[in-house]
Amino acid sequence: MLSFIGRSIIQKIVTLFFVSVVSFLIIHLAPGKPSQIDPLNPKFTPEILERFRQEFHLDKPLYVQYLLFYKGLFTGETVSWKDNQSVLKKIWERFLNSLPLFIVGTILTWTLSFPVGIRSAIFRGGFYDRSATFISYLLISVPGFFVAYILIILVVTQLHVPVFGMETFGLQMASWPTKLMDRVWHLLLPSVLGATGGIAVLSRYVRSQMLEVEGQDYVRTAKAKGLPPDQVHYKHALRNALLPFVTMFGLILPGLIGGSVIIESIFAWPGMGRMAYEAILARDYPVILTVNFISAVLVLAGTFVSDLLYLVVDPRIRL
Amino acid sequence: MTIKRALIFAPIILIIFLLQSYFWVPTYEQQTKGNPERLHEYITASTGDATLLNPILSTDATSSQIEGLVFDALIDYNEELQFRGRLATSWEVYEEAYFYVNERVKIPGSPDNSAGAVVEVLRKAMRTTGSLAPGLKGSLENIEEISIEPPREFTTVKQEKPAKKDKKGRELKILVKAPARIKLRLSKVDQDLFKNLEGLLGSTYFSSLPGASCLSISPPVDREELAACAMEFLPPTEHNPVLVFYLRPNVKFQDGHIFDAYDVKFTFEAIMNPKNLSPRVADYEPVKSVEVIDPLTVRMVYKRLYSPALGTWGMGILPEHLLNQAAIEKEAVRLGKDPKTFSLRQSSFNRHPIGCGPFVFTKWESDQFINLTRYEDYWEGPPNYKRFMFRIVPDLLTQEMEFYSGTLDNYSVQPHQVKRLANDPKYQSFSGTSFGYSYIGYNMRRKPFDDQRVRRALGMAIDIGKIIDYVLYGQGERITGPFVKQTDFYNHNIKPLPYDPEGALKLLGEAGWKRNQSGWLEKDGKRLQFTLITNSGNDIRKAILAIAQDAWKQIGVDVRTDMLEWSVFIQERVHKLDFDALILGWVMGIDPDLYQIWNSSQTHPNQLNFVGFKNKEADNLIVRIRREYDHKRQVEDCHKLHAIIAKEQPYTFLYVGKWTAILDKRIVIKDLDDDGNMLYKKIKPTKTGNYNFHFNRWIKIPQMPEMALDG
Repeated sequence: MLSFIGRSIIQKIVTLFFVSVVSFLIIHLAPGKPSQIDPLNPKFTPEILERFRQEFHLDKPLYVQYLLFYKGLFTGETVSWKDNQSVLKKIWERFLNSLPLFIVGTILTWTLSFPVGIRSAIFRGGFYDRSATFISYLLISVPGFFVAYILIILVVTQLHVPVFGMETFGLQMASWPTKLMDRVWHLLLPSVLGATGGIAVLSRYVRSQMLEVEGQDYVRTAKAKGLPPDQVHYKHALRNALLPFVTMFGLILPGLIGGSVIIESIFAWPGMGRMAYEAILARDYPVILTVNFISAVLVLAGTFVSDLLYLVVDPRIRL
Repeated sequence: MTIKRALIFAPIILIIFLLQSYFWVPTYEQQTKGNPERLHEYITASTGDATLLNPILSTDATSSQIEGLVFDALIDYNEELQFRGRLATSWEVYEEAYFYVNERVKIPGSPDNSAGAVVEVLRKAMRTTGSLAPGLKGSLENIEEISIEPPREFTTVKQEKPAKKDKKGRELKILVKAPARIKLRLSKVDQDLFKNLEGLLGSTYFSSLPGASCLSISPPVDREELAACAMEFLPPTEHNPVLVFYLRPNVKFQDGHIFDAYDVKFTFEAIMNPKNLSPRVADYEPVKSVEVIDPLTVRMVYKRLYSPALGTWGMGILPEHLLNQAAIEKEAVRLGKDPKTFSLRQSSFNRHPIGCGPFVFTKWESDQFINLTRYEDYWEGPPNYKRFMFRIVPDLLTQEMEFYSGTLDNYSVQPHQVKRLANDPKYQSFSGTSFGYSYIGYNMRRKPFDDQRVRRALGMAIDIGKIIDYVLYGQGERITGPFVKQTDFYNHNIKPLPYDPEGALKLLGEAGWKRNQSGWLEKDGKRLQFTLITNSGNDIRKAILAIAQDAWKQIGVDVRTDMLEWSVFIQERVHKLDFDALILGWVMGIDPDLYQIWNSSQTHPNQLNFVGFKNKEADNLIVRIRREYDHKRQVEDCHKLHAIIAKEQPYTFLYVGKWTAILDKRIVIKDLDDDGNMLYKKIKPTKTGNYNFHFNRWIKIPQMPEMALDG
């Protein structure tokens, strides 16, 4: 067991190193330059561009830039080129903003998908299953921003309440329960919108996994024993259908830092996704690379966690 | 079954909890109508966040807008686009010109060649100007004072330019034995002074100055290098335009500190300080020195003629007492940073700016909002609005919804909405032409674009009027040249190219291109064929691409098209000059300096004259415009330059866009009339279409105004 953990950590560190090299290379080799050295501005003389290049170490060979960047990252000194703010501080602020969206979205996805999918599997081919399938595919194929716009127009024109941003603009004076509830309200649309897509996809997986398991002998045995149907489906069948989801659950960790660019932009939500997207547009390398690195760490941590979870949930795996 | 119940009820309870919050949220009505405070707030939005709120460091539009409210400049543009004093009450521009006495040249009509003799010749000519050429006469009349600077010696050090990139250049020690120099003080800047004086002192008087023989350099260098050093350290003539600003007394920064000339000097030094990496260095590089004469007078001497100089002082002035060396070092120590590398760029000032503008910075939440409150001690009197809120709303539809709901006070209407919204009786609308234009540029290094007739014919084949009508929904105007259309520099006498495919074919025929049997244009057996490119992600350019391709196909030109991602487009095609024709746009400043975009010295890779426009006459005019301080003469030169560019057609100038903005109708101008009575006026845009010009006097009133007001 311990040796498994040790081996896997060493493996992951090696992987992380390669990820850091590759992502560094891709970002530096991609066309486009940081917006500070935008070459289409007549006001920028070659001397100024050269000075910016030096300041950002862009005049140095790539491997030196690589070392300098990761040195800065681990000492916490990396600053964004856009506004000279510390990158880690920026990411932390945005992370806290995106966190509520992530938590609510994840809870909704990982709870609702199961009853929806299981019912589909039990009544396979029935009216419920067909309509659930139809709605799922509809939600998967209609772009999120379209649904978002429709919802926004409905809510704003019919209910006359604000839905943009993290809180109602200009509510700084209100009492704290109002402020709290105001924030909760602003959470509703973006997190539900974020969750619908997830529910649509995940419930499909649940359905197919359950279908596989429902035909097994032990389920038939459980039914024959006269167990109540809920117990058969939710205990005997579900437990065995759960295995693939352990892997998927490990992979939601990187979602912590990814955020959703589209939803955050539409709702003017100051989250991670928007920051990363704007950093990419401005070629703000420190921000892009840091976000990249942290999400790589989270992906690896996620797979590690799901490996461990496997140990817990699947008694057949012994190390 | 608990698991089933948990899986169903947990999310339902969560959603119910989320939904119930609806009852706590204030509706838009509560925020706007029922809230008297709302009348004292102006709320506007932008799609992007600010970067650094420091006028010498930022270049993006959002930061500039905030800086314009927090900081005040020495001068700005008034309604007629002329300069107007802000922190400076007035200013004057004159020139100090220098030239070395050239003892080798015999001066006509004078026995000897000494400095005294030169002065005597000048003085004599000034007394008897009647018979002289008009140019020389004007230049002499302009001279206010003549003095002699005695010969002097000085040593200086120059870093030699390395021959190879990786080698370091030698250090040259230069001993300069400068001859006597004549100093002229001119009442006006005169770029033709020396050219005119040649008529008096001899045509080679300046050019034959034996500068190289006055220099001794160690270690020795070759003749070319020596000549270059002579030009650098012993220029035969020198123009030193001088700018003197008289500052407004008793202006206070928002922290109560009095503003004075040292702040101006400091702002200049902060820009030039290499540690600060200011992107505005190019504007101030021609400045030789900034001297404080007294706390309310500051004098800037320029190294050379640079007419955009005055406009560059429209830059916000920084408070010296908060940002000088001592203050920056103190901050570095407080933050535990190395004071040697810590600069203005890292300072927290950039997120908490203090200036002497009409609004005081209060709060900035990244990607959410920036709040300002009015500055009660503003020198021009405080603005009417108590608060200025700047929201960051990245999505345009979101902005629109917020505007309808009353939580934004203005909305920039999209072209396709103009018809619907501009005439909506609920809002007041403003529109004007913008400062940028779109064009099709031809790579004049390549055939067939080296022929003016071909470029003109291609322009004539496109129905630009239709592009404006259908692609821009009418929100554009024709443009014929590179100047901002609202300024005097734009030559309105030049007619846009007509839409005339027949005429285009005739022109192409003159250039040797004839239609072959299958209808394609051909010359010497080669088809007229090229690729038109633009960047992807811009729907308007994409539409123009298709329209141009179709229009040109109809007259028999075989056009391929391509769209590339922006940075690939710029780096691989535009900067490497690897294109036939492209669609792009420029955003212009008010100043008519076109050096980077149109001068023939700027046609190399990575430079902005990528179409390769080379025209001697145009080059001359561009340099003259850069050096001309007299507005009228500058306008004349600009009109000539405009005509040349329109004749040469290096670009097919397409259109300049129009913008439309709508405002809540209850926002009006509050003013006092001559008797001190309060008066409400409708907001009127200035000649250039700037409706924000009187922003400090805007206010929102509770009811729709009676239009009996001054309309």
